[in-house]
Amino acid sequence: MSDSADDIKPVSCTIKPPVYLQIGDTKTDPSHSGVCVVDVTLPFGKPVNIEEITFKNYYTAYVTVRLLRRSPGQEVPAKWSTTLRDLPLMDNPHTEGGSQDYFSIHRTQMQVEPDHVVSVRLILRQPSFAWLTFSLEDIRIFPHMEPDPEKEVSDWLSDLTLVDQHPDLEGLPDPQTVSSSIQQMWALTEVMQTNQTTASIGRFDVDGCYDINLLSLT
Amino acid sequence: MAEKEKRRSGATPPGMPEGKATKSDSDREFLSQAGVGELLRGAILKMVEARSDDPIGFLADHFCHLASVTETGTAGCSDGDQLNGPMSAGAQEQQHLNRALWHLRLAHHSQRSAFSNNVRVAYDLLNLTGPCRRSAEVPEGGVRGGLYTQTLQCLCSEGGVPASTSAPLLRRLHCQDHEAVPYDVFRHGVLTCAVFSDYIRQAQRLYAEVCCPDEGPASRALCLAVLGTLKEALETSQGCDAIRYLEASAKISPYKLAQAIAGAQTRGPGGDMDAKEFENAAAELFITRVKVLS
Repeated sequence: MSDSADDIKPVSCTIKPPVYLQIGDTKTDPSHSGVCVVDVTLPFGKPVNIEEITFKNYYTAYVTVRLLRRSPGQEVPAKWSTTLRDLPLMDNPHTEGGSQDYFSIHRTQMQVEPDHVVSVRLILRQPSFAWLTFSLEDIRIFPHMEPDPEKEVSDWLSDLTLVDQHPDLEGLPDPQTVSSSIQQMWALTEVMQTNQTTASIGRFDVDGCYDINLLSLT
Repeated sequence: MAEKEKRRSGATPPGMPEGKATKSDSDREFLSQAGVGELLRGAILKMVEARSDDPIGFLADHFCHLASVTETGTAGCSDGDQLNGPMSAGAQEQQHLNRALWHLRLAHHSQRSAFSNNVRVAYDLLNLTGPCRRSAEVPEGGVRGGLYTQTLQCLCSEGGVPASTSAPLLRRLHCQDHEAVPYDVFRHGVLTCAVFSDYIRQAQRLYAEVCCPDEGPASRALCLAVLGTLKEALETSQGCDAIRYLEASAKISPYKLAQAIAGAQTRGPGGDMDAKEFENAAAELFITRVKVLS
């Protein structure tokens, strides 16, 4: 692959605020269940082939990734599928290890091909009571870039294979000799151009004029 | 040219000793005393390097040059303020210029290493002129701008380029009199002028080809068509070198030129173009690609 990952821009997507699942009545029992859902919707009408998902952890122990995929063309409704179940982000949910690390989930790690994805759902789990809140920050989704197709064979290349149609050249100069002269002239110009030096005299003039007042402008 | 007057060898050869037995010994002695072996070896080495078409003329030039060098060799670097009597600074400069030009003429620019060596020698020669230096000092700064410009002018005119044609080129390459020209700039300027003289000669030949089979001036449409293909080839700029060369050469292939020539007959401006105009048009294609010195 010629492009480095830096060249690829993340897809602009809408990250909904995390929804913490509660057990029981939200009003009376404010404690978390330790499960949180983050929905990431991709631009409407433009399904994405995902290359990777990157994010920064904030005290999340496990993450499950589910994708809503819609096959193109067919009238089949979009389907949810789990592509990654309970990926551990922290070695021990109670300790600090991995709690604020940066993670990247590549498409090769996914069990289901992340193509034609409409929406991504991240289910976060943090079973430990040690942390008050947990979430993922800076979630980015990078699209899968197809390598550039080979540049089209230019016209000039196809010209070379044309059958020689000899135009009527009565009384006109011979193209062979003219062509060879022109080729030599072209080659001489090339020699001159390739031997251009970047060395400079270090002048301080503007348009050949050594006006002292102009020096401050250069 | 005064230098052409060969220096009459001051030393008369020693008289022939009596007796045949000692004849060859004294001959050998004489040759080694005169240092003829060194002289001839140097001449042959130079000739092999230059591979000139005219060996006799080349050897004549070489010895003539040597004569002038040794004549003024001791006068080149004088001590302190003592200016060499008969040689004024201007004349000395001219002499150095002539010598430098001689060196530059030795090898064609296509013989890369030989040409580069000669440019180096010429540069060092021209660097010597200026305020009197002791021979032990290393010359610094560079060649005087005016001398450099003069060198370029001589190269162009010796190459058969009329002054009016080379003027725009020199405008791009020349240096002010007070500027010091470093080696890279000097080399580039010299190479460009050498290549340019070849280019103009080629353009003249091209005009002759475009003219034929008629004897009169070539049709304007034809000339413009031919130069147009060259311009297109020169303007190929994208892609790596190999692709650029392939694409450019496809544009100036005989087939493409045949098309251009045939097309020029049917459409295109009327009238004729004379040799001078053609030469100037071709020169312009070259000169626009020369970087302006700054």
